[in-house]
Amino acid sequence: MIKRRLITYSVVFSGLFLPLWAYAKHEVEVILKDHLFYPAQIEVPAYKKIKLIIRNQDNTPEEFDSFDLNREKVIFANRVASIFIGPLQPGEYHFFGEYSPNTAQGVVIAVESKEEQP
Amino acid sequence: MNYKLFTFLGFTMMMHTVANADGMVVDKVYHPYVLPYEQEFEWRLLSRQIEDKNYLFQRIGYGKALSDTFAVEGYLIGQRDNSDDYGLHAYEIEARWQLVEQGQYWADWGALVEIEKQHQVDIWELTSGLIFEKEINRTSLTMNLFVVYEWGNTIDNELETEFRAQYRYRWLPQVQPSIELFIGEDFVGIGPGFMGLQRFDGQKQLKWEAGFITEVSHRGKDHSFRIALEYEF
Repeated sequence: MIKRRLITYSVVFSGLFLPLWAYAKHEVEVILKDHLFYPAQIEVPAYKKIKLIIRNQDNTPEEFDSFDLNREKVIFANRVASIFIGPLQPGEYHFFGEYSPNTAQGVVIAVESKEEQP
Repeated sequence: MNYKLFTFLGFTMMMHTVANADGMVVDKVYHPYVLPYEQEFEWRLLSRQIEDKNYLFQRIGYGKALSDTFAVEGYLIGQRDNSDDYGLHAYEIEARWQLVEQGQYWADWGALVEIEKQHQVDIWELTSGLIFEKEINRTSLTMNLFVVYEWGNTIDNELETEFRAQYRYRWLPQVQPSIELFIGEDFVGIGPGFMGLQRFDGQKQLKWEAGFITEVSHRGKDHSFRIALEYEF
């Protein structure tokens, strides 16, 4: 009985792994310097998965934080981190650096075009 | 679309075959994410009311991320016994792995391993399993599937399973309502829940969650109330 259940679970979870090739095709590079994001306003296509490449040029770590984007990610000092977001509905999604919330702020703007409608 | 259909059919099939470990089925639904530098203190309470008895468990824990994808947490678990005395019931060590980058693939995955030893009794429990989370616009579906092995001189050795699920609407940081499902051999429980958090300076934040789960697979009163607080720093 247990063996049958384990086989069932294996099949189910193997199935969930199948769509792993859905990599992000759109990349946007962001610089973090002096506790500021450059650019602070990032325009991306709606309904697409986006890879944010964040280069932290400060000598301190920062934590990218966004409830709108449902992401929390530590970016180590003088390192590069990738954050995958979306697919996003058209609109604005705010983010900030948790260690410097008053300065490190930004917004992702998902823009719809006819080609990008779902 | 085929993947979604396959997933739905798969989990429907799984829900009909799942069985659970002895004891309390209702517990925390784990999420597959680890943040480096993170430390936390955690307190959980579970109150299960059946016809003529109330089971009460509490646990306190301290956890720390040891890398950007791996975290460990230790717990002391208290229980009210049959004499209505409240005391130390068990100790537990838990390890969690974040297996994939959040958002990179179709869904996010994690893994968990726990080992629990009951206090002054030779009863051990090893739990291992997978943690799944899928983001769907402003909602998140989280599922846990665990295999549990129990052994010791005072119990029969056995292999069992547990399934937990939470479908959450990320409404506000402080209030994220959900529906929770817990399935076991003699237990199918469902009910409302919520979670939320309040941020303070830096990485300091207080997270809370609660759920009220009603057993629905057989007659008789069987209600569980769970609450958890985590202070992260």
